Amino acid sequence: MKLVVNGNELDCSDGLTVNDLLTEQNVKMPEMVSVELNGEILKRGEFDTTTLKEDDKVEFLYFMGGGDGFK
Amino acid sequence: MKADTSAIHAGFRGDVASGATAVPIYQTVSYAYKTAQELADVFAGRAPGYIYTRLTNPTTTALELRLSELEDGIGCIATSSGMAAITSVVMGLLRAGDELIAAAGIFGGTVSLFENTLGRFGIKTHMVDAAETEQFAKALNEKTKLIFVETIGNPRMDVPDIPAVAEIVHKANIPLVVDNTVTTPFLIHPEAFGADIIVHSTSKFINGHGTAIGGAIIDTGRYDWVGGVFEDLKKLAQRAGRLAFLAFLRNLIYRDLGGCPAPMNSFFMLQGLETLPCRMDKHCENAAKLAKYLQAHERVCWVNYPGLADSEFNGRVVKLFAGRGGGLLTFGVGGKEKAFKFIDSLKLARNLANLGDAKTLVLHPSSTIFSEFSAAEQSKMGVGEDMVRVSVGIENFEDIKKDFEQAIEKAFEVQR
Repeated sequence: MKLVVNGNELDCSDGLTVNDLLTEQNVKMPEMVSVELNGEILKRGEFDTTTLKEDDKVEFLYFMGGGDGFK
Repeated sequence: MKADTSAIHAGFRGDVASGATAVPIYQTVSYAYKTAQELADVFAGRAPGYIYTRLTNPTTTALELRLSELEDGIGCIATSSGMAAITSVVMGLLRAGDELIAAAGIFGGTVSLFENTLGRFGIKTHMVDAAETEQFAKALNEKTKLIFVETIGNPRMDVPDIPAVAEIVHKANIPLVVDNTVTTPFLIHPEAFGADIIVHSTSKFINGHGTAIGGAIIDTGRYDWVGGVFEDLKKLAQRAGRLAFLAFLRNLIYRDLGGCPAPMNSFFMLQGLETLPCRMDKHCENAAKLAKYLQAHERVCWVNYPGLADSEFNGRVVKLFAGRGGGLLTFGVGGKEKAFKFIDSLKLARNLANLGDAKTLVLHPSSTIFSEFSAAEQSKMGVGEDMVRVSVGIENFEDIKKDFEQAIEKAFEVQR
């Protein structure tokens, strides 16, 4: 199936959970990542229970205190 | 995972390098990177990474993940104290000229923060009686930016009707902030009753052993920061979605105020969480027994414990806390002199300003944590001169009862 991950189209195996995707994509510091699925932030408990579907849009976000302070 | 399993396992699956099963204490100020570019990328938010313990720390991260899961939140920021948590929330949401509404029976320190410290910066607080839900609606105006309640007011022991208050708050499109310190996620999930933000003093039942000061902020993900009333956050929510508030705190308010926990203290909170479900069971069991014992005692003038069947708040205790009244109660033996003599005569319970410890603790609120307020102000906050507050510990109940029995008798010897 096709997914859009961080704006890039990816070919992934069917039946992938969000946790599987984090592992497959070798996402850095998975304990710190926030996952947005089709515009909605997932709770961490949903990473294991949410199965991704064709054309899902996934964003990996980090809010660790860097950045511009959002001024 | 069920909550009592999450209390032990959430946020940490063992140290990959060493196999350690306890969360390592990362007692470090900063984090080194091999190249200037890597650190620049982390600073710019282009790559994940730890920068400085005032912002994030791996031990504290484990605590944040665990608390977030227990409160069914979308994220958590741990703080140096409960007061630091509340300060960050209010300073993150309100500006000079804005107002908040708070239940009048809340912790005196929080009242002082709202009225004195934040009052100096042009934030106005309206105090209302938590027993009367419609008072929250009456106090609302166009400047109101949040409503703040404690699950059980300390030491008034009043229980707000959280879902009814949430309905009022959400009609006004502002967030409901719930302090869940005295009930913990093991008596209530405020998220399920409409809380948008949950705060904790983790120094109390979560720590459970009186060994460290800490606090926490959890965003439940219920408040829509895109469609909300906060201009700063509307803009940020375009990028961060429902994480906008936590991102705003982490990257600006919390970062700048400097209220980060010590890594060692985060470790103590993680240790406390592991046994919290069992301890809360025993705190509630012992408090219910002590309340009934005191109520039946001829020398005791009054007992205030929301878990008692005849408490005006018992219906809410059943609805919100599945019938468990928590580990705190207050009672009176007829005047300040007798209250002092009672406290002085205790042999097991400790006289100190804290609650939620495994040990039974007592305090005379009027002369200690509320001493900065006049008698009239104290009365409004539900504090009287004869009041003794008890944080009922998890000792054998017979020992607690024996201690109270002999101390009550001694309190009355003064009058003979």
